[in-house]
Amino acid sequence: MSPSSVMWVEKYRPQKISELINQKEIVGSINSMLKNQSELPHLLFSGSAGVGKTSAALCVSREILGKHWRDYTLELNASDERGINMVRERVKKFSRFAGLDTEIPFKIIILDEADEMTADAQTALRRITEDTAKICRFILIANNLSKIIKPIQSRCVVFKFTKISDKEILSQLKSIGKKEKIKADEKGLSAICDYTDGDLRHAINILQAAASSGNVTESVVKSVVGLTKTNDVQDVLKLALDGKISDARDKMIELIKVYGMSESDFLKYINQAVFNSKANNLEGMLETIAKYDYRILVGANPEIQLSALLAELTKFGK
Amino acid sequence: MMWSEKYRPKNFLDLIGNEESRKLFVEWFTNWKKGTRPILLVGPPGIGKTTLANLAAKQFGYDLISLNASDVRNKKNIHEILSPVLGNQTVLGTPMIFIDEVDGVHGRADYGGTEAIIKILKEPTVPIVLAANTDSSDKMKSIKKVVKTIEMKPLSPKLLRLCLNRILQLEGVKIDSDSLAKLVTKSRGDIRSMINFTQARATGFDPPTEKSFESLDIEEGINAFYKANSTVEARSILYSLRIDPREKINAFYSSIITSKISADDMQKFLQVISEADMLYGKIMKTQQWRLLRYLDAILLGLYKKDILIRYSKYNLSWPLLNRLRWDGTKIKSIIGSLAKTMHVSKSTFSTLYFPYLLYCIKNKKIDLEFDESLEEIVQKEVALIK
Repeated sequence: MSPSSVMWVEKYRPQKISELINQKEIVGSINSMLKNQSELPHLLFSGSAGVGKTSAALCVSREILGKHWRDYTLELNASDERGINMVRERVKKFSRFAGLDTEIPFKIIILDEADEMTADAQTALRRITEDTAKICRFILIANNLSKIIKPIQSRCVVFKFTKISDKEILSQLKSIGKKEKIKADEKGLSAICDYTDGDLRHAINILQAAASSGNVTESVVKSVVGLTKTNDVQDVLKLALDGKISDARDKMIELIKVYGMSESDFLKYINQAVFNSKANNLEGMLETIAKYDYRILVGANPEIQLSALLAELTKFGK
Repeated sequence: MMWSEKYRPKNFLDLIGNEESRKLFVEWFTNWKKGTRPILLVGPPGIGKTTLANLAAKQFGYDLISLNASDVRNKKNIHEILSPVLGNQTVLGTPMIFIDEVDGVHGRADYGGTEAIIKILKEPTVPIVLAANTDSSDKMKSIKKVVKTIEMKPLSPKLLRLCLNRILQLEGVKIDSDSLAKLVTKSRGDIRSMINFTQARATGFDPPTEKSFESLDIEEGINAFYKANSTVEARSILYSLRIDPREKINAFYSSIITSKISADDMQKFLQVISEADMLYGKIMKTQQWRLLRYLDAILLGLYKKDILIRYSKYNLSWPLLNRLRWDGTKIKSIIGSLAKTMHVSKSTFSTLYFPYLLYCIKNKKIDLEFDESLEEIVQKEVALIK
């Protein structure tokens, strides 16, 4: 079986723009823009995780490029690419290969997590978009619009995706549940909603994992959400606060070097973990994390900085 | 006057040792014409590489333009100094270029310096001679491709003794044969240091340490640093430890992180290393190599008397290192390809998708086909789920 047919997030991913959930205004304006395809501007989709930004981008690509959309779409994820030069090389190669099919107005480049790029890299990206403007359109995707530099924003039409309401998520989960013939009780489903906070993608993943062990109940959901690696980051924090630097560091290195969690994601999750811990010295801890977030940007070896962070966090323990 | 200068050979015929290498060198010089490959002299310090180049220039009537490692730090510099020479401006007479310690300065590769040198080496319009202590680094390997290498070996004890006796006789100094033998063996073929030590001995000055720190490798250096009895001693060890700054920082990092010291000390030391890493990061980004002089000042903060820290090459335990090497590579390749089909980053996939996927596989609700080599690791990961 192919991975895209077994994972429900992929199986039930919207295939047409009109199928996007809860983004009525966006669906409307994208549809009207698509009426005049050749004049489509660069697009910038912003919004929190799991609200349909990537799905929307894929839909746009599919609707403009038709059945060959895969051949003429380049998907990049800024958090996976090593630096702007890598992005430039890949865009260059892609924009050059073969001539344009006459049925196709332009090629599409989807750049996900564009806000992970430094301001310098974004400036370089601006050049890239200009150099390839004749043959390529960009769809940039970002969680945080404020982290995208102004010159890029001004070159794109910006769409702000809103959070999906719990009600909507619940009805989506139910509809998938029906199609997959699973048993789920109301409490179990609302536990998923509580936990995912408007992230439909994550909600569907939890639903599938929970359903794999039988009935979707509150207790099953609770044990399933404990599986994600964000919990491991919480463990790292706990170990550090207990003064077990070496264990904390081993775990952190495993997450990053074995599973490939990015350093910036690690910081994001540890930040969340600190925030959720509701400890007394919250400010001090967050300040320390911020300090090392900066140092990673300035320094040469992120591992050294993250180890130093864990060591410094020990002083907030007990 | 320093004896090692006073008795530096004045004439080609005064040179001792390395007959074979000298013969090759002279042949190269005699047959030199435009386009002949430059020469690289490789050998430990103090065996006469610089002297050989100097005397050869004198002998064959060239004007020696001598560059030291610090002169050839960057591309601009190299061009400024060498362009007029290579451009055949005859005001300079018949020039010959000598670049000493090509392997010596760190980070030059990042500055385009090596590339600049190689470019010049490829089209030599004047004789070029390079000298280096080792030729094993990547940088040296790329240089070696465009030059002819001549190896020079440490001098034999017999020759050293002969030479030393002559100097002692001329200076009218007597040293007992025991000490003499010691001086010869301790020098390990480094004639310059042997003469220096002999002079120090003869004038009643006892060098403070048995071994010059310059020859310490990273392991000995770190261990000596933490065995030092005072900050002053630690400083002198640190400052004379001439290795790549990146390597220096990493060596301290791995040694400290694997030692059993209190959480307080660990925190303090890691802060220092964090600062050192920041400085290095800034240097790499701005290419302001002059800032490098502050690195040792920062690293000195890692000294504490009598603390039990010893050199460690690796900063992780073996089980974790192995897991990283074997499992890590396979897991990353699985995650890499799956992340693509799910349209998310690898990091997101590993955090928010992979654990759920494994759970579904465990419950036999999902059956994915992996390569045989990857199937095993998937089963291993599934077994890890609580």
